[in-house]
Amino acid sequence: MTVLHFLYRMELKYEKHIGRCYFTIKCLPREDDRQHVLNTELFVLPKTTYSFGEDSFGNRQIYGCEHEDHNLFVFQISGDVEILQTDYEEKNRQEVTGLFQVPHGKCIPGGELLNYFHSLDFKECETSFQVCEKLMHGLHQDFSYVPGTTDVNTTAEEAWKQGKGVCQDYAHIYVTLLRLAGIPARYVCGLIIGEGASHAWAEALIDGFWVPFDPTNDCLVWDHYIKLGHGRDAADCAINRGLMWNGGAQSQDISVLVEKREQ
Amino acid sequence: MRQRELVNHTEKINELLARYGVKFGIYKNNVFKEQLFPFDSIPRIIGHEEFAGLEKGMKQRVMALNLFLKDIYSKKQIVKDGVVPEDFIFASSGYLAECEGIVPEKSVYSHISGIDLVKGKDENWYILEDNLRVPSGASYPMIARELCRRSSPDTFHNNRLEDNRNYADLLRRAMDYVNVGGHSVILTPGRYNAAYFEHSYLAEKTGAHLATGSELIAENDRLYYISSDGEKERVGVVYRRISDEYLDPMVFNPESLIGIPHLFEVYRKGNVALINAPGNGAADDKGIYYFVPKMIRYYLDEEPLLLNAPTYLPFYEEDMKYVLENFDNLVLKDVAEAGGYGVVFGSSMTKEEKEKFIQMLKREPRRFIAQEVIDFQDLDTLDKGEIVPRKADLRAFVLMAEEPMVWKSGLTRFSRNTDSFIVNSSQGGGFKDTWVLYQ
Repeated sequence: MTVLHFLYRMELKYEKHIGRCYFTIKCLPREDDRQHVLNTELFVLPKTTYSFGEDSFGNRQIYGCEHEDHNLFVFQISGDVEILQTDYEEKNRQEVTGLFQVPHGKCIPGGELLNYFHSLDFKECETSFQVCEKLMHGLHQDFSYVPGTTDVNTTAEEAWKQGKGVCQDYAHIYVTLLRLAGIPARYVCGLIIGEGASHAWAEALIDGFWVPFDPTNDCLVWDHYIKLGHGRDAADCAINRGLMWNGGAQSQDISVLVEKREQ
Repeated sequence: MRQRELVNHTEKINELLARYGVKFGIYKNNVFKEQLFPFDSIPRIIGHEEFAGLEKGMKQRVMALNLFLKDIYSKKQIVKDGVVPEDFIFASSGYLAECEGIVPEKSVYSHISGIDLVKGKDENWYILEDNLRVPSGASYPMIARELCRRSSPDTFHNNRLEDNRNYADLLRRAMDYVNVGGHSVILTPGRYNAAYFEHSYLAEKTGAHLATGSELIAENDRLYYISSDGEKERVGVVYRRISDEYLDPMVFNPESLIGIPHLFEVYRKGNVALINAPGNGAADDKGIYYFVPKMIRYYLDEEPLLLNAPTYLPFYEEDMKYVLENFDNLVLKDVAEAGGYGVVFGSSMTKEEKEKFIQMLKREPRRFIAQEVIDFQDLDTLDKGEIVPRKADLRAFVLMAEEPMVWKSGLTRFSRNTDSFIVNSSQGGGFKDTWVLYQ
């Protein structure tokens, strides 16, 4: 049994003081068949009231409004998550999954991705799982990890055209390709063991169950991953969505730490 | 003639309508223009029996559509049972994943349904469209009747017609039925909206607060109206006259300035009712229209009482074949467009246009429906002092409280061009009052 301890901290600094800002934060690990949340601790500055809820994908969210004048917003969450042996239970079998099959948002294939997809040969693939693997290996080979060349608004098609990007782009492209192959797929936002930033991967629906793949690292997801949320694309499970007026320039500082708890 | 005296007042009533601000606005080439909505004083008259038939049929339809919305945003049984292909739901622009799992107060989705019908030359009524998002137009026959009644009281004394002044009561009942505790509010984007006259008129008639987004605030999972003295007062129901994508910039379009941040979370937690429910577009999509008779059989185990216009889905191979063979006799509609846009008649296309269109149809078969052109009846209409025949449709309104209620009136829209079948107000048509006779 693995227990992962995690910490996610975000600091937003504004050039000018702002009077009111709304926020929705999706940074609490999901409770599902491959992870169980043992405890969490939350810290928000300035002190404000907020609510807890779940969005339509079942992602946990914290949202509220800061009314006081401020130029620094800090959000920190830490906790422990137990990673479980995935047991594909019959009750979790997915029946209607068209929502994760139709092209949507950042995962709409353009000409280049379509050309690439049609150039692939799936003759040797006998199962959906093999199609997923083939697409993942291919993507890992034909796309390079280069930070700073894309941003949160980059689409799968745009990233593919330039041939480089970060985990969000890998996940967007992978989801798009899986859907083209007729496999329902969803984008996953989460954390991975180590220090740095948040991570993204994808889940493919195989024989009625969601199976997670990490195209950035060309591997299956195992006990080094904590899942925060999923959706049709990154926007559905963005960790932070905010709305403010007249803040001027802003800088964002994010730190993430995930480590194994000694048993 | 029953309405002769009214005809003499046409000009005066139009002047009054203009003075009351009964206009609609449209954006043309990015410029906002307000237009008068010309009123024709010769009413459409529907007999008692005939309307009773329509009433029954429309109630049935709205019940089925409500059950469909509840189903597709939760269990999706109709998809599992293979009645509606899931593609038609999830690829529809009106379907909102954000509404998955939300059950609105008392399970009402379509509190106000605008059902567009036409009467064919074969004397049958046909449903053309269901409008379940933010159907507008009830205020026009309301105020027209009010003015006609004033200018020609005898007409209404001598003709045995149903009073249509109860629309405000029906709306009030629909709002009260789902109110979770607090004020009733009509949310308007402001005076530059095409239907602003209607927003203010209905607020006045129902006693609801007329508010813009900046007068409402979502806080601690509650919605508040900020009164003129700065006090926060709880809101229990919002009849919102802005479309889904502008409702809440934290969930939908982040650029929206007319919405209310976190309104959607208040709604999700059941602490405010929204009229109509967000996501209703999944049921009034032109592609879904084809499946409404099937829904009625599926959910209610009844035969549909009202007819759909014969419709084909090029998505199905068999239908595609029919559409290509009978192209010139059909009208083709883009499922994503509304307001009479994206409608083309096969017969009116040149050879090149037709070829281009067919290519597009083959590439995106899900995007279009094809319908037989219904030869619908003309109504007598005044044009420069002469009575001429013009094409007209009827938008009837069904409101939902414990039971569906049909308003015994409706908005009759007519085309101002001799040959046009398109009667939408955004395309420059006019309107008539709709009289429903009692025994």
